Amino acid sequence: MVNESAESGFTWEVRANSRHYHKPKQKKSFLCFRWGRSADNVVRSYKYTPLTFLPLTLFEQFQRAANVYYLLILVLQCVPAISSVPWYITIIPLISILSLRGLKDLSNDMARRRSDSEINSRPCDILISQSFQMKKWKDVCVGDVLRIHKDQVFPADLLLLCSSEPHSLCYVETADIDGETNLKYRQALSATHEDLTSNPSEEALSSFDGVVRCEEPNNRLYTFRGQLQWRGEGLLLDSEHILLRGTVLRNTTFAYGLAIYTGADTKILRNSGKVKLKRTQMEKVFNKVVMGIVLCVLLAALFLAIGSGVFSAQLMRQNSVLSALVFNSNAVYTGFLIYWSYIILLSPAMPIALYISFELVHTVHSLFIGWDLEMYWQQADKPAQARNTSLNEELGQVGYLLSDKTGTLTQNRLLVRQCCIAGEIYGDASVRAEDVEPMDLSWNPFSCGGLFMSAPALVDRLRGNQCPLSRQFLTALALCHTVMTEWKKQTPVYQAASPDEEALVGAARELGWVFLSRARDFIVVSELGVTRRYQLLALLDFTSQRRRMSVLVREPEGGIKLYCKGADIVILERLQKDSPHQERTERALELFAEACLRTLCVAVRSVPEASWEQWNKTLAQSATMVTCDRDALLEKLYDEMEMDLQLLGVTAIEDRLQDGVPETIALLQEAGIKVWVLTGDKKETAVNIGYSCKLLDPDSRIVEWDELRQILQSPDPRVSFFKPRQTELWAVDKEMAVAKTSVVLTGPELTEFDQRPEWGATFMSLAEHCQSVLCCRVTPAQKAEIVTLVRKHTSSVTMSIGDGANDVNMIKTAHVGVGLAGVEGGQAVQNADFALAQFRFLQRLLLVHGRWSYRRISLFLRYFLFKTCSFALVHLWFGFFNGFSAQSLYESWFIALYTVFYSAYPILCLAFFEQDVSAEKSLNFPELYKCGQRHELVSPLKLSLSLLHAVYASLVFAFIPLCVFDNTVFDYQTMAITVSMAVTFTAMIEIILLTRHWTKFNIAAVIVSVGLFFICTRITHNRFLFEQSPKEYIFLGASDYAFTDPVVWLTALLVAWTAVLPSVTAHALSVILNAHDKHKVHSVSHQSVELRSRFRRGTPLRRSSYAVSQGAGSGRHITSATHMRK
Amino acid sequence: MVKQESESANRPDNTAFTQQRLPAWQPILSAGIVIPGFVLIGLAFIGIGVALLVTSRSIQVLELDYTGDSNGSPCSSCSQSDIANCKCSLNFTLTTLFQGPVFFYYGLSNYFQNYRRYGASKDDNQLYGDLSSFTSPSSSCSPYNYDSSKKPIVPCGSIANSMFNDTFTLTRTVSGTTNNVTLDGKGIAWWTDYNIKYRNPSVTPLKNAFNGTVKPINWAKPAYELDASDRSNNGFVNQDFLVWMRRAALPNFRKLYRRIDASGDYQKGLPAGNYTIDITYNYPVRAFNGAKKIVFSNVSWMGGSNEFLGIAYLVIGSLCVVMSVVMLIVYAKFKFPDEE
Repeated sequence: MVNESAESGFTWEVRANSRHYHKPKQKKSFLCFRWGRSADNVVRSYKYTPLTFLPLTLFEQFQRAANVYYLLILVLQCVPAISSVPWYITIIPLISILSLRGLKDLSNDMARRRSDSEINSRPCDILISQSFQMKKWKDVCVGDVLRIHKDQVFPADLLLLCSSEPHSLCYVETADIDGETNLKYRQALSATHEDLTSNPSEEALSSFDGVVRCEEPNNRLYTFRGQLQWRGEGLLLDSEHILLRGTVLRNTTFAYGLAIYTGADTKILRNSGKVKLKRTQMEKVFNKVVMGIVLCVLLAALFLAIGSGVFSAQLMRQNSVLSALVFNSNAVYTGFLIYWSYIILLSPAMPIALYISFELVHTVHSLFIGWDLEMYWQQADKPAQARNTSLNEELGQVGYLLSDKTGTLTQNRLLVRQCCIAGEIYGDASVRAEDVEPMDLSWNPFSCGGLFMSAPALVDRLRGNQCPLSRQFLTALALCHTVMTEWKKQTPVYQAASPDEEALVGAARELGWVFLSRARDFIVVSELGVTRRYQLLALLDFTSQRRRMSVLVREPEGGIKLYCKGADIVILERLQKDSPHQERTERALELFAEACLRTLCVAVRSVPEASWEQWNKTLAQSATMVTCDRDALLEKLYDEMEMDLQLLGVTAIEDRLQDGVPETIALLQEAGIKVWVLTGDKKETAVNIGYSCKLLDPDSRIVEWDELRQILQSPDPRVSFFKPRQTELWAVDKEMAVAKTSVVLTGPELTEFDQRPEWGATFMSLAEHCQSVLCCRVTPAQKAEIVTLVRKHTSSVTMSIGDGANDVNMIKTAHVGVGLAGVEGGQAVQNADFALAQFRFLQRLLLVHGRWSYRRISLFLRYFLFKTCSFALVHLWFGFFNGFSAQSLYESWFIALYTVFYSAYPILCLAFFEQDVSAEKSLNFPELYKCGQRHELVSPLKLSLSLLHAVYASLVFAFIPLCVFDNTVFDYQTMAITVSMAVTFTAMIEIILLTRHWTKFNIAAVIVSVGLFFICTRITHNRFLFEQSPKEYIFLGASDYAFTDPVVWLTALLVAWTAVLPSVTAHALSVILNAHDKHKVHSVSHQSVELRSRFRRGTPLRRSSYAVSQGAGSGRHITSATHMRK
Repeated sequence: MVKQESESANRPDNTAFTQQRLPAWQPILSAGIVIPGFVLIGLAFIGIGVALLVTSRSIQVLELDYTGDSNGSPCSSCSQSDIANCKCSLNFTLTTLFQGPVFFYYGLSNYFQNYRRYGASKDDNQLYGDLSSFTSPSSSCSPYNYDSSKKPIVPCGSIANSMFNDTFTLTRTVSGTTNNVTLDGKGIAWWTDYNIKYRNPSVTPLKNAFNGTVKPINWAKPAYELDASDRSNNGFVNQDFLVWMRRAALPNFRKLYRRIDASGDYQKGLPAGNYTIDITYNYPVRAFNGAKKIVFSNVSWMGGSNEFLGIAYLVIGSLCVVMSVVMLIVYAKFKFPDEE
């Protein structure tokens, strides 16, 4: 038996009701040792415990090369022989950065703990010793039998044993897993259903001793293979019997399930991907630069050390005053020590303050995001939130936006907005749904609102019995569907597998055709108060090939009618010849399509009794046939029946978009961002949404998989990709033509990419030229794979946005993940880097905050690089004039205070407040965003220019004072003060040049910095401090002389101006050239607008679709009557 | 009302700061500001440069090298031998009045007073008059903290040990008679050094404070006997000592030796005539290829002569003016591109 199960791959064994068997097998861990097999049901996303916090956080922090580097410097400074500057200069910033980071990590971890414990302590009923006890999620163990109430979330992956419903059917909502909001059916095995529901449930369940053997935990959401061994029988299990963690039980009072996978083993958690530490590209570039600087410092120190060795050797030979100072009278040893001294002296080139300031700037930018009123959603009282505070500048560089559909682009509300009956159009889609004047439907006792279509004329006609076609139209809507009813407070509540159907049946209800209830073979409808009972003869179900469904009913009067609804193409070709109103209806279809409404054609046919009998006979025969034959026959049969239809009308449904979605997408596309939609939903729906949110233009060419595969297989994919477009268009501009192409893929097709990895690069190079890419029916893991594909083959920054648990993986995978909090915060938000309440806030997040952040941080980094390198490299040149002795050119107090007190505030203010253009302008000129996508501000070239400028400035700092003070009476301390002054002045002039937006804080910061320089210098040269500790304040009195000497001032001024001369010139030249450039930008944008309008002239294609989840409809359940209540 | 408040509890504050709408000045630069700005700054620099150059040229400087490394120069015999207090003399003639006040400097070159370990080689506490540092000088003075018999050296360290010990007297020969030019050695050190930074221990007589210590190895006399003529000019507050202890910035430097006492014939400076400097040659510089010189100079508002500063200002100023011309050309090209 065991062997057999091993062969079939069923190595996971679950024994019902045997905790004693499963408990010891749970995974446990102590320190780094782990054992056990199955995970428990506790979510642990936190990292630290009180015991492990300190070692772990230190370990993490010292993984950063920079921190180790500073620690090394600190250690070096403590060695007296090489300490060129005192040790306290490094320890204070190092300790503060370590504790700041540690505290931040700790508070993040606390937040994670809180959210974990909230999830872990959700209630659920566990069967323990013959009775259900209210327990918490974390208590669930593999093999437990659970009772789930209506609207509860399943705490683990369960095997459905039975439910309160007939046939142990139960309905689940999988919105959190695949983004679909319609209900799905799950049915228990008949064996468990029969035996466990017949007896009082608790006893029967507690004596249930089945053993489930199934595959190991995996991330495949839609498959499950297993076997239930019970009472000597082996019953096969598949995904139909499984209730996944994260889904919600609907319309079912109770469901009983056996926990198979818990905690980390569940399919949804297996899909959620690993938490990755996200680092921005800019940080990576900058880290490289820092590494480069460190290498240069080491190299320069080596060079200086060699110089020192040579110099010492010379001293030894000369027997001068200094020769006694050569260490151990050994030139090589001296050089070795001097090497370390110079490393200390040059280390401020990569200052520790940079990392503190960098974090501070990020934090403030994140606060600004949270404070923005324009991104605050009044309705739910939700401000925007930056959960990850280190990715702000990436917001300004996004190249690809990968968006979820349901809940992100759409509100997931379907509204009937218009209809066309007998060629007459009712309702007006140009009015916003909220602004539609509600009709007076008080005559209808069943009306409960929800109709956003104002058509009093239709109501009059219906009630006045003027138009039989419109009555038939509504009868069709009330009959032809697979919706079920549930009675709540005297009104029917509809539950549908397709949200479209729910909307249509609801609309019929409002207009007086109320679908009351259905049984296996009849449907009860109240038509304007008259209750009529239709006999249901057959239900010709929906499939994605047929794209239509029909019902065959016998009217109370006795006639047989076929009501059919479906996509316009399939219905129109099945109409009887010379159908009236056809022309007008087709025009209506075009109108609806223009308004981005989803249309369905409704038609009717009277079936003669004889032909029905004949048909039914054939149908009955088919029941005994082999499956594949039967399907073909059914197809044929259905086709025969759905003939000679009489067109009744067209419905037009609006899939409500979130507010401002089309505008936002248009704006983002103008900003050069490629918007892709990744959805678990059907292709039809996705494409339709693509049109309605302006992602696809009506005249876009849509490339589907078959075509794409041919293109990818062709020797030159690019040529074959662009060719058809070029020939068929009268367009002159090739790029415009290409931009009109979109690719639509589905999940199963994407799996082919796994087998052909070489396609990835080709596909991406094509996709780069596409208007958009839509991926439908993709699993959460696939969504993440697509993100990875984009990340791998482009250098662009990717951003994912989504709202549900199915988006978690892609949110984690993308460079930047945005979670939509919407009405209620969800898992997506928990894992996102930024949380927004509305999709439209994205434009402000990217174009305003992102752009500003990118600019601010770029300027900040470049300035910091310049400031610190020029400051530290002076020693390199000064070394030549002090015998390579690692003599500092600054007072040690100046070194300690410079980066923090004298030069940090203005650049921080710049990094906080700088705005090159206002928020309004950023939104009005989305082209401005492109600068970030091209990494213009922090390119290797720009960074090297900054570095070059820094080297130049350091040369100026060293050599002008050297020449001025050579062969004069000026002492070392006066020169040190002069150079310090020059360095401070340079930093100030440079920041004044960079700042374009002078708030009071910027002005204050500059004044305070210069003021602090003089005040602190005076303080450290003060006699009182000297008297306390003569050793530390040896510059006593030096500033008294220096600050009154005109040569010192003139030298400092000259040095500062000479040092900034290149950047002043560059700024001046850019000012002069800019006037020219601005003109150019404007003329370009005008041209593109013109072109665009020319292209808009294509005729919109009609779109008609109607789709039920997973392709096939739910008619099977209705006709088999398994779902009916007794 | 209360309900509404609680409903929007998370509503961000609507302040200029949080909404990033702080009133701000956004200077808009244009070619009309930038180019004249450049010209103005350039002209200002040229102006300063000219002023500096003119001032610098007006300063009289007389430099006399007395290293004696070439045969035939006055001090060549002294520089060859190691005799202490070797005497030599330098003659020079002034044809015009050397405008006063005249300062008398000694200059050294190729002497790295800014060598780090040299600069650190002193004990600030000791020099501040801390007696505990007399008996146990700081290790930073090593190897000049203890002598061979383990007695503490006061003042310890390299700087003190290498104190400049040549002495000079200046005589003027007027019609056959030589008379001394009075040199004023008072107040040649910094006020802060003399009054705060360096202090003798408050022990009288001063000599007692130095009990149990030895003088620096290279010194001829202990610190408390540096100036035999003026008892207050001894110990750590000796002016020459203070001047020496203030480290030079660069390997070539000058230090103030004396001022020419502006009295009698010398009220207006050094009159024309023949002068002789008698040098007591002690300080060895030839070992490290150094040079020694005597410098007479008067001062202006900018201190001593400094040609470089003036020239640098002129160069940078001219560069700015040239740049503005270039910008003007560039601007004209873009402004009127059709005229090409």
